[in-house]
Amino acid sequence: MQYQSQAVAKPYFIAAIGLFVGQILFGLILGLQYVIGDFMFPEIPFNVARMVHTNLLIVWLLFGFMGAAYYLVPEEAERELFSPGLAILMFWIFLVAGALTILGYLLVPYSGLAELTQNSVLPTMGREFLEQPTITKLGIVVVALAFLFNIGMTILKGRKTAVSLVLLIGLLGLAVMFLFSFYNPDNLAKDKYYWWWVVHLWVEGVWELILGSILAFVLIKTTGVDREVIEKWLYVIIAMTLITGIIGTGHHYYWIGAPEYWQWWGSIFSALEPIPFFMMTVFAFNMVNRRRRNHPNKAAVLWAMGTAVMAFLGAGVWGFLHTLAPINYYTHGTQITAAHGHMAFYGAYVMIVLTMISYAMPMLRGRTAAPSNRSQVVEMWSFWLMTVSIVFITLFLTGAGILQVYLQRYSGDPLPFMVVQDKIAMFYWMREVAGAVFMVGLIAYVASFFVGSRDPEATAVAGDSAAA
Amino acid sequence: MSTKTNIIQPNRQLIRPCTVVYGVLVVLTLVTWSIGRAGLGGLWVSLLVLGFALFKAQLVGDWFMGLRDIRGIWRWVVVIWLAVPGSLITLAFAFSHGG
Amino acid sequence: MRGILMDTVVRHEQARPGYPPGDLAIWIFILAELLVFAIFFAAYAFARSGQAELFNHYQATLNRDTALFNTLALLTSSYFVVRGVVAAREGNNALCARWLWAAVAMGGLFLVIKASEYADHFAAGVSLSSNTFYMFYLSLTFFHFMHVILGMVILAAVAVKAGRDGYSPDDHTGVETGASYWHMVDMVWLILFPLVYVMR
Ligand code: HEM
Ligand code: HEM
Ligand SMILES: [Fe+2]
Repeated sequence: MQYQSQAVAKPYFIAAIGLFVGQILFGLILGLQYVIGDFMFPEIPFNVARMVHTNLLIVWLLFGFMGAAYYLVPEEAERELFSPGLAILMFWIFLVAGALTILGYLLVPYSGLAELTQNSVLPTMGREFLEQPTITKLGIVVVALAFLFNIGMTILKGRKTAVSLVLLIGLLGLAVMFLFSFYNPDNLAKDKYYWWWVVHLWVEGVWELILGSILAFVLIKTTGVDREVIEKWLYVIIAMTLITGIIGTGHHYYWIGAPEYWQWWGSIFSALEPIPFFMMTVFAFNMVNRRRRNHPNKAAVLWAMGTAVMAFLGAGVWGFLHTLAPINYYTHGTQITAAHGHMAFYGAYVMIVLTMISYAMPMLRGRTAAPSNRSQVVEMWSFWLMTVSIVFITLFLTGAGILQVYLQRYSGDPLPFMVVQDKIAMFYWMREVAGAVFMVGLIAYVASFFVGSRDPEATAVAGDSAAA
Repeated sequence: MSTKTNIIQPNRQLIRPCTVVYGVLVVLTLVTWSIGRAGLGGLWVSLLVLGFALFKAQLVGDWFMGLRDIRGIWRWVVVIWLAVPGSLITLAFAFSHGG
Repeated sequence: MRGILMDTVVRHEQARPGYPPGDLAIWIFILAELLVFAIFFAAYAFARSGQAELFNHYQATLNRDTALFNTLALLTSSYFVVRGVVAAREGNNALCARWLWAAVAMGGLFLVIKASEYADHFAAGVSLSSNTFYMFYLSLTFFHFMHVILGMVILAAVAVKAGRDGYSPDDHTGVETGASYWHMVDMVWLILFPLVYVMR
């Protein structure tokens, strides 16, 4: 660790991992409820568990992004963080607000929570991913502003690099797009616009900048390839992201009452959205092949390569699968969507946060570059367990989705929704099994921080392939 | 740094090759425009016009962008690109006129 | 300097270069742009094949003469850019800047003509939702219109640098980068013009 204040990243990372465990727990509950309808009813109804699952995901990813920024920015700016105290204060505010919100979901019926938090004053609740009470949303804005101020001042006063600027633009965009969540028009078509301007412009816009810059940072550090080369890639990637991603929002306008031309605009531009993801894959492999050193933290390099591959598969391939209007006409809102949502979120954003944690945690825990060999072995096991299970979750859901589309929407004799759900229950059982394996992987991941923590650091072996 | 042979030989020639190319481009443009003005249509006229367009784009790639002096795959990027819309447009027009 | 992958290639002094003029990054960008346009063109052609009558009918309402002038404006500007690159290669920055500004002016002429066409259409009540032909016509030309603007910005930035004597015969990658992008904008229009205004 080159700067003392980078240490504030540590609580953020720990909170992220803790909430990640919670998210997966609720994923497993949801998965069971899919096949055993009254599981845990009435204590935890499906809609509540789903809300907790997705909200925890978003919140822990935000913790991860903030931790990543607090670690990365001082090193890039070559100076201490503007205010470490502010960062710690915000950490606690965010954690408490997050915990209270989740408890609210679990303990109070959702409509009661809306009343309790005065939702009627400024109605913002009730939209997927954005279910938080208005007061929590305001809290998020305050935390985000303080965070951006802290990071922004550090960058302004220090060295300005492409990596930190792209990161800053991405984080700024994240905060700005979130503001659309404060407007909740009664008109359902308009409501959908504003919702997608948060959700789509996040994951297929500004978050990609965050992803690109963190990936670039870790690759610079672990491969020793010239910054100039890496920065050029970064610029091309973000330019492509924005060109395709902004107009690509149209792939959500097909059936919400928007003008028909969006079927063309949305199809054409979103069909190109896989390109920046593909460039990221090429970029990562290219850099590792041209590496000047073998970094001793092989687990971090593995995560970085994994991100590059899985983001392309989940977002690029599984996104393309259903993005053309004539195909989306059939697949809209089916298990195909859920399959894509899981692999894309995991491959792009879960994995980039884990990449950063994997890279930074050894330093945050007082080592010079890497965890011990034993710890890395466990971490790599967790990598494969989680990654392979998400692939299987995706495949099972895709299978379920194809059958669902056929039986319910395509065949000459379409069946009702619930009848179809019964027919594809087998896939849901298999998804649940894969989910359990994911949980095992996650436990291994947590364990990797405790295994071999007194062993000496791993050292790089010359000629050793970095991502073996 | 740049070691390529010049796209255009400096002033030695009376008329630069790029000026000739420019002239060809203008003439073909006028021909295309006249065809439109005359209201000509149909499959073969359309394909002729498309042929002119692809040829013109190819001239721009070779002489203006300077790809003619490059070796390897980059020599052919524009040609390869043109083949994609070129063949798809041909196909679509064949459909609409033939089918 | 020349490109992302340049240092991996052993270059012999006499050999023809294996990479196109300008920064390789701009070429990756150009390829992506060309892909978008190719898909757009193909979509136009296939959408047309289903509704040829309608397309032919509304195509006749376009102003082919202004499109001719626009084509000539872009061709001429591209020619100016070629001359600008030659000047830079010969170390004549001032001349290079003059050619590039002339090219930017031609781009400006294109924008003015095109904007007047749009004004006519909008006055006539035409919009993206009028019919499939106008949807494509407006989308394609407007998307291209935005590229003309971006190309002009790039050319202007290069011209300013040339005006400050910023290039040399050994190092004028920036000029070639801007030039390559501009030629792409021109080239795309060379397909767009016959496809949308003439072919029927
Ligand atoms: C990392 C990037 C991405 C993430 C995290 C992501 C995530 C998601 C999620 C969670 C949904 C479901 C939203 C809902 O609740 O309805 C969704 C929908 C969708 N995504 Fe993505 N996505 C990403 C990238 C992409 C890309 C690159 C494409 C296109 C090539 C794409 C195409 C789609 C489409 C078409 C839908 C709508 C599905 C429907 O109609 O039901 N996504 N995405
Ligand atoms: C890191 C891993 C995971 C991520 C990133 C993730 C992400 C998501 C997302 C984005 C959604 C909303 C999808 C949509 O709107 O289409 C969702 C819903 C869901 N997830 Fe996960 N999830 C993960 C792990 C799991 C696991 C392990 C399970 C269970 C085995 C699971 C089960 C579910 C279920 C059942 C839903 C509800 C789908 C529905 O409403 O039909 N998830 N998850
Ligand atoms: Fe999207």
